[in-house]
Amino acid sequence: MRLLGDAFKQTELLSRLERRLRARGLWADSEQSSPPPGVEGPIEPLSFNLSALEEHADPTRPMPLHTHRGGAGRAVLFAKWVFRTTCQVFINEALARQRVFNGHVRDSYAQLSAEVLRLRAEVDKLQTASAKRRSPRGRRV
Amino acid sequence: MAIHQLVPSLVPGDAMGLAAVNFRLLLRRLGHVGELYAEEFPPGFASLVKPARALRPGPRDLVLYHHGIASSLSGMLLHLPCRRVLVYHNITPARFYEGTPLWEPLMSGRAQLAAMAPYCELAIGVSPLNCEELRAAGYRNVHEVSLFVEPRRFGADRSDPILLAKLGNSAPAMLCVGRVMPHKRIEDVLSLHAELLRLRPAARLWIVGSYAPGDAYARRMLRMGKRLANVRFFGRLAHAQLVAAYRAASVLTSMSEHEGFGLPLLEAMAAELPVIAYAAAAVPETLGGSGIAFTEKRFALLAELVDEVQRNPELRGKIVLGEKRRLGQLSAETAAKQLEAALGTGQARAKVLRRRRGKPRIAIVVQRYGEVIGGAEAHARLIARRLAGEFNLTVLTTCAKDHLTWANAFPPGETKIDGVPVIRFRTERTRSMVPFNQLSRELFRRSNDRLSEEQWVAEQGPSAPALLGYIEERARFYDAFIFFTYLYSTTAWGAPLVADRAIVVPTAHDEPPLRFDLYADVFDRVRVLFCNTPEEAELVRRRYLKPARIRVVGVGVDSAQGDPSRFRKKYGIDRPYLMYVGRMEAGKGIPELLRYHAQLRRGEAEAPSLLLAGSADVEPRAPGARYLGVISDSDRSDGLAGALAAVAPSRYESLSLLALEAFAQRTPVLGNAESRVLCGQVQRSGAGATYEDFESYRDGIRRIAAERGLMGRRALSYARQHTWERVLSAYREEVRQMMEER
Repeated sequence: MRLLGDAFKQTELLSRLERRLRARGLWADSEQSSPPPGVEGPIEPLSFNLSALEEHADPTRPMPLHTHRGGAGRAVLFAKWVFRTTCQVFINEALARQRVFNGHVRDSYAQLSAEVLRLRAEVDKLQTASAKRRSPRGRRV
Repeated sequence: MAIHQLVPSLVPGDAMGLAAVNFRLLLRRLGHVGELYAEEFPPGFASLVKPARALRPGPRDLVLYHHGIASSLSGMLLHLPCRRVLVYHNITPARFYEGTPLWEPLMSGRAQLAAMAPYCELAIGVSPLNCEELRAAGYRNVHEVSLFVEPRRFGADRSDPILLAKLGNSAPAMLCVGRVMPHKRIEDVLSLHAELLRLRPAARLWIVGSYAPGDAYARRMLRMGKRLANVRFFGRLAHAQLVAAYRAASVLTSMSEHEGFGLPLLEAMAAELPVIAYAAAAVPETLGGSGIAFTEKRFALLAELVDEVQRNPELRGKIVLGEKRRLGQLSAETAAKQLEAALGTGQARAKVLRRRRGKPRIAIVVQRYGEVIGGAEAHARLIARRLAGEFNLTVLTTCAKDHLTWANAFPPGETKIDGVPVIRFRTERTRSMVPFNQLSRELFRRSNDRLSEEQWVAEQGPSAPALLGYIEERARFYDAFIFFTYLYSTTAWGAPLVADRAIVVPTAHDEPPLRFDLYADVFDRVRVLFCNTPEEAELVRRRYLKPARIRVVGVGVDSAQGDPSRFRKKYGIDRPYLMYVGRMEAGKGIPELLRYHAQLRRGEAEAPSLLLAGSADVEPRAPGARYLGVISDSDRSDGLAGALAAVAPSRYESLSLLALEAFAQRTPVLGNAESRVLCGQVQRSGAGATYEDFESYRDGIRRIAAERGLMGRRALSYARQHTWERVLSAYREEVRQMMEER
């Protein structure tokens, strides 16, 4: 455990607090943790979007039941659950064309994003080659 | 070049919206204008924010897009035909929300962040942590512009007194500010409180922050809180109440596992509250050595620490001192410098204006001009007419005639009035007084955050973005700007654009908006304030501790001696009369005046008549009073010259032009005693009386009638001290100094 700050001497303050804990017979704390790493890694947008499209392509699949409302919100949740369990067949019927459409969107996106990745790689290759040609060491005599 | 801002949501209590409004303040100080655009905002904010889909930037314009959780605006940004800047406010790691509806927008927000990288010429992180994440997401040109708070908004005098009284007792109180969300680890705050209760059974815990009542996590926390003593969940608090909570608490604690910046830490510092926070993500950077950051959640030890901070005045004092220092480092001034460096506009601004041959170019900025009735507007016209001969002067104003609606009544573009060039700009929206008055009532009774005050100024108007755009565009063309009336958006938002060359004639009086901190950018930062009276200067000094340089300048009087008999003949007046000239508005004290005068006439049949002249939506009627309508300047002089006294019933005056004109006609003044300015004018001149109720109104008239001759001589002698030469020399001097400084 470290205490960070300019207004006090860390070791002095910490040992004073620990002395008090010991006096109370509370030396060992059960719960300990350390701060999680700060910087989050980036998410590659093309692959994330594709997986998100795949995940949500079927509109007849329900989202998890959730409410922000208290009180009547619970009753609404129950009503939604009843609707989903008793009317799924009608939901499927109403959203059949949407399901087909979403499938096409997903497949088109998959093809287009693959093409973007292929073209990016191609551009990188060409740029590297062009840079080599321009640099004196890469130039053929 | 305009710099617009695009935010997913601009609602009260939302940190990103507040940051956008604070960025707007910085941009103004850097001389840039721009509008706020949002996808979601409350209906009452329509004057301040425009719908995101209405954003039509030009190719040279910059759009600052504030990014957090996933937003459809990120896709829109990619297709905007302008220069794009991303302002990153961090995204909570999705791992805290696995299996909840929030997981997807958090993930999606990060994917959008990476997708926008090739399309943004610049990225701004509000903390070093955010800058690192931006670089990791593929951004190359990354700058830090830290968030800031305005310390004066968290002063003890900004607390809600009712809540402060309710909360204030000797028992120690630990405060936690933030939404009740899993990554904020409210359960850890509650565990710490449980440990603290073992040490101090009277210890209290206040949790301030919004939560959805149906949310499973929030319900679990509420249940946990109920099992412990002295725990209170406040929900979201209005600004004044939040300040009361900060001021009544003895320590702020944060157990949050992720903070992209941690604005409440700064707010607590501003409220002189020691901060004890878990050193997660950007928290150590934000604290910057102030407060106490800890690296492990050992609750028993932390309870001892909280207790130590609460009970050890020396340690507490040192922490508060350190926090004050840190607050100075994370100030608006620092953020403005960082933003200027990021935008790369500093060089252009620093370029010294070269001295030119010929007359100095001066712009007078005023909300209305020409055929309009209003004290400040008339004042501006008097000054413009007299300065036009010696300077290359232009008046910049709106097309509005009516200051209540700001409806466009004059054609836009260039014209000449009294031989002075005037450029008019259209107003974009008309004002509706019912919602405006409702908003005013709400904001006037408590202290507010910047967002609320900006909304009020936007509602106040006039909304003339083209005028502000012109000031930005021609900032370097003019050698000096003279702004009239602090109250309106033309000054509140225009003067900061050219603060170093701005002379502001505030025409301030003791009214609730003068207490808005937003106006500090006018009163504290401009080159010089030209107050009208010593009372106004004193008022500004009382309200703003470090105002800009103040000079008492006012106006001069030189009206020709009027002919009372001509006036009496023209209007058929054969008895003594009191005279009021001006707008017939409740704010001018007219209803009160009519009431007192009717009472006077009921008691004394021989009492003088009351003549009222000026524009009126509804004709004023009362026994003994007569409304003359709008009268000419010569009738005005004739009328005042023949009056027993001029009546100045307004309690809100920065300078009574009517009083000065009356004095010049050897006529005493009967003024409203609630106006310090009128009292000062009457006292200094010795030519009149003041009233605060019916009795003093009646006695004042009697006194003036008894000493009319003596008071008339004193009035003239006072008026002769107010020469135009003295007034104009103050303007000349300031402009000359500005020219010499080049």
